[in-house]
Amino acid sequence: MAERGPLSSTWLMLRKRPRLLTLSGLGLLAIIVAVHLQISGPSLAQGFDNLLVILAEAWPPDFSVLTNRASWANPPCNFESDVLCSPAVIGLVQTLEIAFLATLFGMVLSLPLATMAAHNLSPAWLSSAMRSLLAAFRVLPSLIWALLFVIIVGIGPLAGVLAMTLYTIGYLGKLQYEALEGVGRQPLEAARAMGLSRAQVARYFAIPEASNSLLSQLLFMFEYNVRHGSVVGLVGAGGIGWYMQYYLAPFRLYDRVLALLLVLYVTVVIIDAVSLRLRRRFIESDEQLRRPTWRGVFLPWKSD
Amino acid sequence: MPELILRLTGVDIGFAGEEALVHEINLEAYAGEVIGLNGVSGIGKTTLLRTLAGLVPPLVGELEVLGQSDLSQLPRGSIGYIPQRLGLVHHQTVGYNALMGALPRASWWQTLLSLPSGEMRQAARDAVEAVGLSEKMLDPVSLLSGGEQRRVAVARSLVQRPRLLLADECLGELDETTSEAVAVQLLSLAREHDTCIVLVDHSPARTAALCDRVLNFRRGRLVEDEPGLIRLPMLGGDN
Repeated sequence: MAERGPLSSTWLMLRKRPRLLTLSGLGLLAIIVAVHLQISGPSLAQGFDNLLVILAEAWPPDFSVLTNRASWANPPCNFESDVLCSPAVIGLVQTLEIAFLATLFGMVLSLPLATMAAHNLSPAWLSSAMRSLLAAFRVLPSLIWALLFVIIVGIGPLAGVLAMTLYTIGYLGKLQYEALEGVGRQPLEAARAMGLSRAQVARYFAIPEASNSLLSQLLFMFEYNVRHGSVVGLVGAGGIGWYMQYYLAPFRLYDRVLALLLVLYVTVVIIDAVSLRLRRRFIESDEQLRRPTWRGVFLPWKSD
Repeated sequence: MPELILRLTGVDIGFAGEEALVHEINLEAYAGEVIGLNGVSGIGKTTLLRTLAGLVPPLVGELEVLGQSDLSQLPRGSIGYIPQRLGLVHHQTVGYNALMGALPRASWWQTLLSLPSGEMRQAARDAVEAVGLSEKMLDPVSLLSGGEQRRVAVARSLVQRPRLLLADECLGELDETTSEAVAVQLLSLAREHDTCIVLVDHSPARTAALCDRVLNFRRGRLVEDEPGLIRLPMLGGDN
């Protein structure tokens, strides 16, 4: 009997262990891709050295961003208090405002598009066209939309609002039409048998029936927009990111950037927690579905 | 002679590309008439109602409602449909669901601005009162019991006042008292508003007590019971 070579016996061993075969394949693919991207050990080590330098410069964080007045704020701050006009507070408030407006405008514009994109509410040709349109809004990430709008309308929060609105339409629209398609067949059939128009079926039957999901998605989108609202600022579209970029690009004041990041982190954690709690009220009460109300969203303790 | 509401001539029902569930249905139904459809589960009762509602086209034959074979050309609100699971908007109130019956006669601006007329609101209030749910007018439907939800669906039809009402097992799974209360409201639609009602039920005793005519699904055909065979003074269960 001929003796097997080492390659042949390794192959046989791998074939007996499919999980090991998959992991080995993935590892091999990762090595090939890393070589193709010219990622090497020395470049990683160099990057780690740079990281240590930045961390050394950033620590301790300089919280003067919360107390010093930002005289160069855009738009200018007119409050007496230095804290209210500090880069951190102005940037944070702007980020929240951008996220709020973008979520609101995005929702108002995406809901009609989503009803037209839902298979159960629209003819096939219209839903296909609307799905393509919503996909087109999602093709570009909000950062690229922000770059475009900074060129079109100039540096400032308006570019941020427009960029985030367009992205919200695409993203929220997709979530909305999926929620509308999840509405049971029977309310829609009862409405259609009455002879109601497609718009009436959507407005009075499908949207109210999906309202729990729609409200939950709206809160999720606001939370998402707060996180991304800070990113679009990096290209000049307003918000806390714009102030980070101000400290980063010309001055390399990493300690102040770190302080801004910590302020943003705390805010995002708080918003995440509140949003999660509110969304649970809508999505986890299958036994007794609550009727969502704005009072319930903004004053949850009132209806407890 | 009462007005002819529904006419089926040689109609086969079922799903396109599949064998027909029921063949050669010939039926005429008139205003104010209550017609019961009996049959075991899966025999085609719901498909027949969905066909009559214009939701599924007949495979062959001719279906006319109020003399119109193209049901999309009927005046809005001519047909009312209470599906098996009632088709209510669960997150909305009893009042909202009852008011939906008035939507077919709302003008475009009333629809756009969500501004029902005083007459529509009053009709919804009257209907909710008629089914005995006045005290729950502002309760979300999802918090009501099954029997109460059925009454809301009937209230919606009372507000709509359709010429043809299709009710799919609307009295099933109810206790005797509630079943009777809901049935009385349905009958009042037929008697007071000349609505023709087609009622699917799996209880022969109940349909016999409630309906003017009873049709049975037998071996892929719809066969009419001889009139006056069973007349029960009161509504009852299956026994």
